[in-house]
Amino acid sequence: MTGDRYEPDQGCDAPPAETPVVELRGVRAAYGTIEVLHGVDLALRTGEVLAVLGPNGAGKTTMLEVVAGLHPLSGGDVFVAGRRVNGAAASDLARTGLCLIPEGRGVFPNLTVRENLRMASHGRRSTADIEGAAYARFPRLGERRRQLAGTMSGGEQQMLALARGLATDPAVLVLDELSMGLAPLVVEELYAQVSSLARTGISVLVVEQFARVVLGVADRAAIMLHGCVVDVGTPHEIESKLSSAYLGG
Amino acid sequence: MSDNTQRIEQFRAEVADMKLRDPATGLDRLLVKLGVVGMVAGPCFGVAAWFISHSTRNPLQQRDAIVVGLLGLTFAVVGAALFVKGAMAGFLRFWMARLCYEQQVQADRIAGSLAAANGQDGRRDRHAVRQVRPG
Repeated sequence: MTGDRYEPDQGCDAPPAETPVVELRGVRAAYGTIEVLHGVDLALRTGEVLAVLGPNGAGKTTMLEVVAGLHPLSGGDVFVAGRRVNGAAASDLARTGLCLIPEGRGVFPNLTVRENLRMASHGRRSTADIEGAAYARFPRLGERRRQLAGTMSGGEQQMLALARGLATDPAVLVLDELSMGLAPLVVEELYAQVSSLARTGISVLVVEQFARVVLGVADRAAIMLHGCVVDVGTPHEIESKLSSAYLGG
Repeated sequence: MSDNTQRIEQFRAEVADMKLRDPATGLDRLLVKLGVVGMVAGPCFGVAAWFISHSTRNPLQQRDAIVVGLLGLTFAVVGAALFVKGAMAGFLRFWMARLCYEQQVQADRIAGSLAAANGQDGRRDRHAVRQVRPG
């Protein structure tokens, strides 16, 4: 087991650095023979919101799938809470509290809001508790608890996806393109919730194509291009580098 | 952040205790392999039983052959069931995902049509109001 542990480098006088809750070291991943991640290095600290920005095809979604155990690694290591979890089953990671909310809505369209929430209730919390928390956070879901999820607006479906993720009592929330296809006001509302979640200690790794709103709530941000993380810094630093990164200037 | 410290500690403990399974040795694959073995072994047992029963006139040995033949039949049936279950599991997962996706697309289409129809009704109503409004 000791070999599986990531021991962060520390100098003799350095204060003990906290182990990142999720860390990728030289991660490589491929679809068949086509490699899309070429050695990604990234660390998510406890209780922070880390935004990964980048254009289409940069490998952001693949990186999240690797973190969630949905895509196999072809090289490098993934550490979760200091433990190397290469090859861990997605279901095992989800059970411990690593929750991926995938691109798109990820809800069951033919089930009602209430049934969707019930799908996420396994073990720790009662259904009533889950529903109560979800409706308190997203009152609109409470109004539509008997409505089929597929007939709700995109924003409401995304709220449901987030509420369902929270129902699993996550310690790490991995969000893929939360803003996809949504109106700016809805996106701001969703990111306000993400920000309040981070204040409760949940670590959030969020991937976005559209930087403005996410940089407003992120503690740190990274730019991903062509399967590599090319820059990590404060949202302010990253914002100033974004246009050149996107346009290749 | 402090109110969630306990959860984070629990998360770390659960990750530390998590059993890492090699995907290559997953139960599904093992069952499929067992199924194939059963399907091959079943007919072999049947053929062996046929030879045993035809190589002797001793009724006790022939009854043994019947038992061997029945065992072969059992292996073949159970093996086929395991193989079909294992092979279908992957297919059905994709089928369910596709079903969800298609229902979502269909629901979007209906919701879009309803919204468009409501919009047209709204315009028509406004037009009607304008027509009846006294000049």
